[in-house]
Amino acid sequence: MNAIAARWNAFWFAPAPPLTLGVCRVLFFGSLLLWQLPHDFSPWGAYSRVFWMPIWLFETTGIQPLPPTAIAWLQTIWKAALLLSAVGLFTRPAMIAAFGIGTYLMGLPHNFGQTQHFDTLVVFASGALALSHAGDAWSIDEWIAARRERGTQTEQRPRRAQRVIAGEYTWPIKFVWVMMALIFCAAGISKLRRSGFDWIASDNLALLLLRQQYHLSDGEPLTTWGIWVANHPLAARAMAAMSISVEALFPLTLFSRHARMLLVPAGLGFLVGIRLLMGPTFEQFMLCYVFWVPWDRVLYNAPLYAAHAARGVGDRRRELSAAGTGAGAATGH
Amino acid sequence: MRRICLNVVFLFVIAASAFDIAADQEHWPFSQYPMFSGVWTSPTFMWLRLFGVTADGREFALDANRYVAPFDQSRLPKALRRLIEGPDGVARIRAALPDLLARYEELRRADEHDGPPIVALRLYELEWTIDRHAANVDRPDRRRFIAEVRP
Repeated sequence: MNAIAARWNAFWFAPAPPLTLGVCRVLFFGSLLLWQLPHDFSPWGAYSRVFWMPIWLFETTGIQPLPPTAIAWLQTIWKAALLLSAVGLFTRPAMIAAFGIGTYLMGLPHNFGQTQHFDTLVVFASGALALSHAGDAWSIDEWIAARRERGTQTEQRPRRAQRVIAGEYTWPIKFVWVMMALIFCAAGISKLRRSGFDWIASDNLALLLLRQQYHLSDGEPLTTWGIWVANHPLAARAMAAMSISVEALFPLTLFSRHARMLLVPAGLGFLVGIRLLMGPTFEQFMLCYVFWVPWDRVLYNAPLYAAHAARGVGDRRRELSAAGTGAGAATGH
Repeated sequence: MRRICLNVVFLFVIAASAFDIAADQEHWPFSQYPMFSGVWTSPTFMWLRLFGVTADGREFALDANRYVAPFDQSRLPKALRRLIEGPDGVARIRAALPDLLARYEELRRADEHDGPPIVALRLYELEWTIDRHAANVDRPDRRRFIAEVRP
């Protein structure tokens, strides 16, 4: 039992510096803001009650659609909260507002006839960040605190060191990993439970790819490659097998570094493939991939790689220049 | 204390997700993620679609999201299907269509789409035989009139 508890704690609360979580916060909220900026939720408030088919969350809590003007105000506050969360100003209250208002706004359309699934992970990720200390790095709050701290002895640094040791900068990232793994795995299990091996072995995916060309999706397929795949049964079945494999095996990413290196890019490729071939818009889900990148290592190594690349380019230029001079001399030019 | 609270949150979220997966249920944002999980074997399929009617009687399909936003071509037909199949289906469809007509015109006046002004909105159920090159997208095999609304 103790061993299980130790592994559990090691998974969620491994000590880590605040940098990676801070970068994830900037990229997640920043890209979510850019994605949501042109989206207007207010028209949902104008539809008559006949369209209102509340999902569990709204029915249980008794939440109703607000009038369009109220939704417009709410989404303005939400987008401001996303901006503040991204830049890290009043970070904690901004992230709490981003989560609370975002859950209402993103959940609202699902009460109008169909529950879609591209935003659930965004809700979970926002929730985790709202509970976290993600504003301790790469934030205006942190910059202001550092300026105040200069020359004075404050409690800021010891508190941050405690959080490093307590794994406060690890668990939000691991939470997004776990939720993404559960989502992929659930989708794989749903296919296997409802269709079994037929999902792969039959013409199911070929017919699905063709059907999606008839303007049935929340987004049009970005290419017509689905038609090509549908007309090559082996390719369609291989794609179906790959899809279920990636989905069902995705939880391995939580435990194995090798599985992460294979399945995380494969999962992203799978979502891009859906968008290109079938249409459904999983862009918001894709935003959550920023949590898989070890930003501390990337940012630490980036200057080294840049210097190495610059040196390589310089050496190559010198080589070419020398070769050019040599060639010119040899040809008399 | 904080760590205990966090562990409770983790366990709750994982348990709620596992429940929906095991019970094959949906409690957004928890879900069993059933999209595209069935096996499609039929060479034909049916779909509800709105058509706008211009002043000269011409009909055209509202088959792009820009005509029906914030609905889309997946959510709207499914919502309409649920309305039809529920109690008082026809009456509920008749109550729903004026909203969609008003929204089409609102989007048109705001230059959100380039569709023509319409004097009526019709709902049809279309049936297609899936073509291996999807060449018949604009030519369904059959269409059944369901309802019409005028401003």
